[in-house]
Amino acid sequence: MNELERVNDNSNHQPVTKTSGPLTTLEVYDQYGAMAYGIILQIVPQPHLAQEILVNVFSSPLLQSCNSYPFTFAVCVIKLARAKAVEAKKQMMAIAPSHKDNNVSSAENTPELIFDLAFRQGYSPDEIAEKLQISRSEVLKAFHEFFKSFPNA
Amino acid sequence: MKTQDFIESGILESYLLGIATEEEQHVVNQMILTHSEVSEYIMRFEKNLQRYFLQNAVPPPTDVREILLLRTNKTDIRKKEKDTYYDIPKDNTKKKEEYLEIEVNDTYIKVHRWWRPAFVAVFVLSKIFLIAGLYYYFKASSQEKEIEKLKTEIVVPRN
Repeated sequence: MNELERVNDNSNHQPVTKTSGPLTTLEVYDQYGAMAYGIILQIVPQPHLAQEILVNVFSSPLLQSCNSYPFTFAVCVIKLARAKAVEAKKQMMAIAPSHKDNNVSSAENTPELIFDLAFRQGYSPDEIAEKLQISRSEVLKAFHEFFKSFPNA
Repeated sequence: MKTQDFIESGILESYLLGIATEEEQHVVNQMILTHSEVSEYIMRFEKNLQRYFLQNAVPPPTDVREILLLRTNKTDIRKKEKDTYYDIPKDNTKKKEEYLEIEVNDTYIKVHRWWRPAFVAVFVLSKIFLIAGLYYYFKASSQEKEIEKLKTEIVVPRN
C-alpha cells in the first residue's frame, strides 16, 4: 500500500483514482485540492484571494519537495497551504494592519485559541507565549491538547 | 524526557504543522528514528490531522482547476514509500520489488566492454599477418623465378 492509498484508506472522503505510479500535479490537486482550499479559507476568508493562493500552492515547485518529505502527501499539502496562506495574510496585514487580535487576554488561553493564533493567524509559538504571557512549552502543549480534545482529530 | 512526555509536549504537532523551530525539528527527527512509539504516534496523528482538515474541506470552483492546468505541465510527482520514517523497518520486503522482471526476446548479446579493443586488435593483427604473408609469398615466388632464370642462363653458355 503506498502513501496515498494508506491515507485514503483511513478517510473515505475522496476515492483513490490512481493506486500506484507517478502522480501529476492535477491528480494531487484532485485529491487534496478541497482540503487545501478549506485550510486557505480558514486563514484568508476572501474567496478570490484564497483561489489565487490555492493555484500558487499546486503550481509551486515546493510541491515537488513532498517527494522527499518523510510523511504523507496530505500533511505536506497542509503545511504548504498553510504557509502560502499565512504569507499572503502577512502581506495583506502589512498593507492594511488590523488590531483585532491584540486584545487577547490570558483568561482565554484555551487550546482552540492557541491553535487559532498559531495555525490561522500565523503567529510563532514564541509570539503567542509573549502575547498570552505563558511559556513556550505551554503553547506547544496546547497543540497536543487541541487535537486530543477532538474525537475525530 | 520520557517518550510519553515528549509525545504530550506538543512538539510533534508543531512539527507536523510546520511551526517547529529547526532545533525542535532535529530533536523530533532523532526521536522518530530511535523511538518507535514516536513514529507510531506520528503515523496516527497524520491520519487524524488529515481527517480533521477534511472535515473543513471546501470544493474549489472548477475554474481553479482549469487555471492550474494551464500553469502546470503535468509534472510527475511520485511519493516514495521508502521515504517514510515508519516504513524503514518494514522496507526489507520492498527491496525485492525494486527490480522489474524483464523478459528479453532478441538476438543480441551483451559482452564486456574490453571485448571491443580486443576485437579491434585481433582484426588489425590479422590484416598485418595477411599483408606480411602475401608480401613474403610474392617475394619468394619472384626469387624462385630469378633462380630459374639464372639457372637457364648458366646452362645456355655451356651449349
